[in-house]
Amino acid sequence: MSIQLTEEQQLIGQSAREFAKEYLEPIVVDMDHTGAFPADAVKQLAAHDFLGLFLPGEYGGADAGFVSFVEVVETLSRTSAATASILVNHAMAAYAINRWGDPAQKRAFLPALASGETLGAFAVYEHGPTPGVGPDALMATRQPEGWVLKGTKAFVRNAGVAKVHVVVACVDPAAGAKGLAAFIVRAGVSGLAVGEPADTMGLKGCPVADLIFENVILQDADLLGRLSDGRSLVEETLAMASVAEAAQTVGIGQAAVEHAAAYAKTRVQFGRPIAALQAIQTLLAETATDCHLARLGLRVAAGLIESGEPFLVEAAMVKAFLARFGSRFLIDTVQVEGGFGYSEFMPLPRLFRDIAGTTLLEAPAQFPDGTIAAALLA
Amino acid sequence: MPNILVCYKWVLDEQDIKVRPDDLSLDASRAKGKISDFDRNAIEAASLLVEAQGGNVDALAFGTQALKLSVKDVLSRGPNRLTWIGDASAEGADAFVVANVLAAAIRKAGPYDLILCGEGSSDMFFQQTPVRLAALLGLPCVTFVQKMTWADGVLTATRKLPDCTEEVRVAGPAVVSVLGEMNKPRIPSLKQVLGAAKKPSEELPLSSLGLAPGDLEPRAVRGTPKGFLMNRRNIVYKESDAAANVAQLVASLKAEGL
Repeated sequence: MSIQLTEEQQLIGQSAREFAKEYLEPIVVDMDHTGAFPADAVKQLAAHDFLGLFLPGEYGGADAGFVSFVEVVETLSRTSAATASILVNHAMAAYAINRWGDPAQKRAFLPALASGETLGAFAVYEHGPTPGVGPDALMATRQPEGWVLKGTKAFVRNAGVAKVHVVVACVDPAAGAKGLAAFIVRAGVSGLAVGEPADTMGLKGCPVADLIFENVILQDADLLGRLSDGRSLVEETLAMASVAEAAQTVGIGQAAVEHAAAYAKTRVQFGRPIAALQAIQTLLAETATDCHLARLGLRVAAGLIESGEPFLVEAAMVKAFLARFGSRFLIDTVQVEGGFGYSEFMPLPRLFRDIAGTTLLEAPAQFPDGTIAAALLA
Repeated sequence: MPNILVCYKWVLDEQDIKVRPDDLSLDASRAKGKISDFDRNAIEAASLLVEAQGGNVDALAFGTQALKLSVKDVLSRGPNRLTWIGDASAEGADAFVVANVLAAAIRKAGPYDLILCGEGSSDMFFQQTPVRLAALLGLPCVTFVQKMTWADGVLTATRKLPDCTEEVRVAGPAVVSVLGEMNKPRIPSLKQVLGAAKKPSEELPLSSLGLAPGDLEPRAVRGTPKGFLMNRRNIVYKESDAAANVAQLVASLKAEGL
């Protein structure tokens, strides 16, 4: 496996750069201030095939592979990590349906997800510590009229704008978190409501809300994969997402270090630019190095996804690395910019808030160190 | 329906060029290539024309072997077919040489109803290639075009001149140079990027064009460009008498020869 991008992958990255400049740069500050969903930019994401990037051509996707996907996610995140976050959550739903859907489900949902006619969302988290456990857990019970879903999914990104949700519910209360299954749930189905929008710290513009299920009735045809696939579906989709979110973190970090480097060259203290100070150089060099090495790691993980090989451990490694060092990208670059960097008229505060989201969200099903250790000690 | 050829240049992305602080020389070792900015406007203009009324767009370029990196990029932006001439001599080529090579290639690959170029390349910006090309091919040349239409073999173009705009009508074939303000070049979709690999491209050896050695001798002498660094003197005139400060300032400027 090569970690160098192919010519096509580089061109796709270039398209993403041009896209970000044209459609995201003009709106990113307003998005951060208002939290408004970037509907026009999402339409353009669809028009440029980003929403169906890795989906097969037979369903209208671009079939461009996962390495291209993380390149696009990183590139968009340099300008607007919130928009990339919308894309990533959409991709989680598309990934799960493409991976576990039967032919009828793929025909029914993937073309619209690829074209952007419908936006997707993946709902796994609950207010309790783990899905399937706690008073608000989403339970799916088989009744004569079908599967009846009752409970709440928490912190669902794209909630309220998505038209198709892949929802993880507990079908075996005795098994708790091990008795999970996934369902495809259309927006507007009777009994489904979207909670109040959550006021999040960062990634503003990517809507987050609860999905509230009050006796939503689904059929077997809505079950994604087999009942026994639930746990692996959750593990694998979250691992895919943690690679994509690593790309977001690297994109944010790269934007921060480039901004800080440009600032250091123009900010004069003691008669010379602060870029001449070794302490500043060290902060910049360490951040750039960590970004670069994380990028290589996530490209390897993305390559494994693309080639259909096991990738959970590599995804957990990328997640663990960035959970430790991701936030430091911003701590160090704000240090470089000092009081100016701390000010809201500079981009670093927004990047700081955004990177808190990308390092925190979409953890693997178990803590990443646990996934890695389990593989080592098996 | 017009058969259009777009000429483009593959240039270094100026954003990647660094200035070495010690001697202000330019470091392009990590600079990536790109399609020259105004040539992207020409590509977009051609693509919009054929999308509106049918026709065909081909592309043509002369450069070093690095030009190979542009193949899928340019084909993802609209043209159906690419002919390119990659030769090390392109490194030092001026507008005289470039026009000779392009004209020879067009004689081989043509005829075309319209030959479109950007108003100038984003590295040298000679603004000579379209005019020289038209002269070599014996075609009319319409420069600085900000708007154009094509109907019944006739080009109607609006030219932007320093103090006015001028509308001209020219029966094709013709050479046209387009302004950057003419349009906003498209961002290729992923399917267009991936579809570019399926479009035909052909490399023509420079030796196959039948050019004389003199046709490949640059006429322009290129110097060694250096970066510009503004060194401020940080002189402050602190006399309480404003007139004295002004007098000192004027004396200093005169001493600098300004």
